[in-house]
Amino acid sequence: MKKYEKITEEIVEIAEKLLKENTVEKVIGFGIGIFTEEVTPIFISNPENADRLVFNSKAEMSLAKYLLNYKDQKVAIVAKPCDSRAIATYLAEDLIKRENIKVIGINGCPGIENNTACEECDIRNAVISDYTVGKKMTEEEIEAKLKDKEDKIEKMTPAERMEYFQKEFERCTRCYACREACYVCYCEQCFTEGNQPEWVGDSVKLNDNFTYHLMRAMHMAGRCVNCGACEMACPEGIDVRALAAKMCRSAEELFDYRAGIDSDQKTLLSDYDVNDTESGFME
Amino acid sequence: MNENNEFEPKIAAFLCTWCSYAAADLAGSSRIQYPPNIRVVRVPCTGRMDPFLIIKAFNMGADGILVSGCHPGDCHFLDGNLYARRRFVMLNEMMQYAGVEAERMNFTWCSASEGKRFAGVVEDAVENVKKVGPWQGFDGQGFSQEEGETTVEKV
Ligand code: SF4
Ligand code: SF4
Ligand code: SF4
Repeated sequence: MKKYEKITEEIVEIAEKLLKENTVEKVIGFGIGIFTEEVTPIFISNPENADRLVFNSKAEMSLAKYLLNYKDQKVAIVAKPCDSRAIATYLAEDLIKRENIKVIGINGCPGIENNTACEECDIRNAVISDYTVGKKMTEEEIEAKLKDKEDKIEKMTPAERMEYFQKEFERCTRCYACREACYVCYCEQCFTEGNQPEWVGDSVKLNDNFTYHLMRAMHMAGRCVNCGACEMACPEGIDVRALAAKMCRSAEELFDYRAGIDSDQKTLLSDYDVNDTESGFME
Repeated sequence: MNENNEFEPKIAAFLCTWCSYAAADLAGSSRIQYPPNIRVVRVPCTGRMDPFLIIKAFNMGADGILVSGCHPGDCHFLDGNLYARRRFVMLNEMMQYAGVEAERMNFTWCSASEGKRFAGVVEDAVENVKKVGPWQGFDGQGFSQEEGETTVEKV
């Protein structure tokens, strides 16, 4: 498709310039693997290799997470709109320094193949960027792209919902690919690995699988940027994003809060308002 | 189950030591009767409540939970309960979405002088949980009585 090629051209141009001028030491982007035709993350430090960067409908990984490995280096990063939200979240959580990174933000993101989150995406333009590629989408264009999908889970009774999630989480092998793929799952030690206390058993019993997913989703509250990386990563095709996406919707409905919109915002749960809702509390 | 074979829920009650725990004490010393279904866990502040504790309680077989802290504005640490409030609202949203009945999740505020109110809160919570019956676990397999007995004690 034309759009992807145009974006690729612009990325290569900017990356080459940044490396030649020594503005950054490294460019983190998408490239085609050496042994396969798959898209993989690549790290370019020689301007001559800048033409290896690509962007296409398979560029599904969450590159933003690599920024945490290069905290003290000057790096440039190719960011889809959802990646840019993740970067904004990192800045809000004070994990990386703004002056160390150059964001090559993709505007008017044409979407990623098989990522159901793209159908719900109403961002479509990079929220922070130093350089932009692509063409900024207008509100109307974004609106037109949104698939009006109503949430089938929301309509179910509690028992049906429980059954739905049991069927999903039953298949979970606890490989933690969903966690590794997620931007906000950057903890050095995840709760799943601790044993003081042991929050959740680590065998694949349904009771524990379900608990793992609830607990992870609780860590996503007000931080998930609804990028769909978790769902794409799951080898079992489990609807991993459902709980986290619900948290995004609830945060917006109840607290008018969206993660990764502004690099100065406080995260949802590290803030409060005296007039906060008490929805669901006893009389 | 009680002797009449009626369901008697076990409710993990997380009470803030500065208010609700004292309210429970007051209810006791004023000889106000309330159902014996709660297993109290004393916490230093509702702000200390990791939502994981609640998820874990269900993982281990509690039929329901009750969290009670100081009224907004009265927190011993000024704003612990205000942080907690957001957490509970979000946790509640997620648990209900995952199919845990709203009746099992009871959040409220209760000051140290509200012994009577505390008894009422426990009555309401027990009634709520009775409405939805025994908790079957996230796997729907249920918990055997003995197992439930020991695990809830561990929570
Ligand atoms: S939970 Fe899933 S959708 Fe949300 S930020 Fe993490 S990977 Fe993205
Ligand atoms: S699930 Fe929670 S503890 Fe584990 S890596 Fe993610 S955010 Fe950290
Ligand atoms: S990626 Fe899928 S199978 Fe692996 S832990 Fe996550 S949900 Fe389970």
